[in-house]
Amino acid sequence: MDQKKEQYLEQYNRGTHVIGRIVSLVTMAMLIGAPFLIGHHLGAMPDLKAAAKGFLAVGIVWTVSSVVEFLVYTPMLGAGGGYLAFITGNLINMKIPCAMSAREIAGTKAGTPENEIISTLSIATSSLVTILVLALGVLLLVPLQPVLQSEALQPAFANVVPALFGAMAYRYYRKNIRLSLAPLLLMSVLFIFVPSLISQTSIMIMPSGALTILLAWLIFRKRGTIEQR
Amino acid sequence: MTRELNSPFLYLVCGGIILFVAVICVIFLIRAYRAGKAIGMDEGKMRRTIASSATFSILPAVGILLGVIALSGSLGTPWPWLRLSVIGALHYETQVAQGAAEQVGLTQLSASQMTPRAFATIALLMSVCIMWGMILSVFFNKSYLKRLGGNGNRAEKKAGQAGNGEETKKKAGFGDSAMVAMFIGLVSAYLGSYIGGFISGNGLFSFSGDLTPILVVCVSAIVMACFTYFAEKRHMVFLESFSIAGSMLIGMLAAVLFR
Repeated sequence: MDQKKEQYLEQYNRGTHVIGRIVSLVTMAMLIGAPFLIGHHLGAMPDLKAAAKGFLAVGIVWTVSSVVEFLVYTPMLGAGGGYLAFITGNLINMKIPCAMSAREIAGTKAGTPENEIISTLSIATSSLVTILVLALGVLLLVPLQPVLQSEALQPAFANVVPALFGAMAYRYYRKNIRLSLAPLLLMSVLFIFVPSLISQTSIMIMPSGALTILLAWLIFRKRGTIEQR
Repeated sequence: MTRELNSPFLYLVCGGIILFVAVICVIFLIRAYRAGKAIGMDEGKMRRTIASSATFSILPAVGILLGVIALSGSLGTPWPWLRLSVIGALHYETQVAQGAAEQVGLTQLSASQMTPRAFATIALLMSVCIMWGMILSVFFNKSYLKRLGGNGNRAEKKAGQAGNGEETKKKAGFGDSAMVAMFIGLVSAYLGSYIGGFISGNGLFSFSGDLTPILVVCVSAIVMACFTYFAEKRHMVFLESFSIAGSMLIGMLAAVLFR
């Protein structure tokens, strides 16, 4: 690559980091500001104490997950793709496979300038399509609001969380049945004998998670994997 | 409260942020295209990348839209629309919203129980808990990529090796397994609470609590098993994009029928 191109790429990369950092900070400010703005409009500000307790209960899990995602995916996505992917989300189910597929089509390798460009093009396009599909869908949902808010459908929306955990239980349990039995049994017994804890289930994630990690470590040390064959 | 959660003001705030993110994507897209042209990349290849990424994204985007519908009954439409357009992911949003709802004293994540203060708190926690990817990008993206430097694909090579046989799996370390274990612990805590709620929710061993969550869990898990079967055994890979949202919606529908 000649010197002129190298200089151009250096300038491009520097610009990507400057723009990436600025837009990430602005997006963060808007996302944190929005609940306060909405709260002001509705006449009640967020309960910061409850938010802090909620963060300690469920946020820690996602913090660890985010660090792992950052370390694993940033080298695959490059600078521009990385900033965009962490702003627009849906990494595992959409952005990563999309960028990998684009890279295969273009035949580029990680760490090269070509891959940086293909990855950015791919993530930006994917994000725009998602935004467009969701905007059109939401527009179509507006006339459906009376149906969605009908009394008959309320049990469905009241059970959105069990519906999620049913799907996730199958996904995580199916290859780790033996590992899953212990925390499930222990948590069930705990909630049966201390039902007052049910309203604080999120707090119980930590002991349940810690126990499962400990058991997983013991299995991993013995067999080199936690998955059942 | 449902009306406030779907008010034009909320659409305006959420739509404004989404529009900002869309503009960011356009800026990155144009810059990358120009840079590719400047370094002599094949324009046809770049256009094919854009076209393939667009077509690749349509089905998963419809799956994400189903997630907006799933959350709209609890949090209104504008907020889930924002959350799933910017940073979010359906499984994350639902869990964090439930965790926040518990902290503000709601027994379930539902519009009928929602108060303005509860909603503002849930919305704040949903925003804060998933920001770490962005925060790490702001502070470490540049230095991390620079450190990988000439060996730009070193981390990927490592990840690739991890999939080659049992020995390399062992070498790949305990990190991935620990994350799986953490999520098993998380799911088990909630499933345990549904079982405990049914058996002792109305008094120790009264067996008169709410059975609906357990039935919904079962239906949703069975539907997920069907999605997995068709995706893995029948090679209908496109179904993966709908598996979580589809299982959730059918599980939620079952709650209406059980009622």
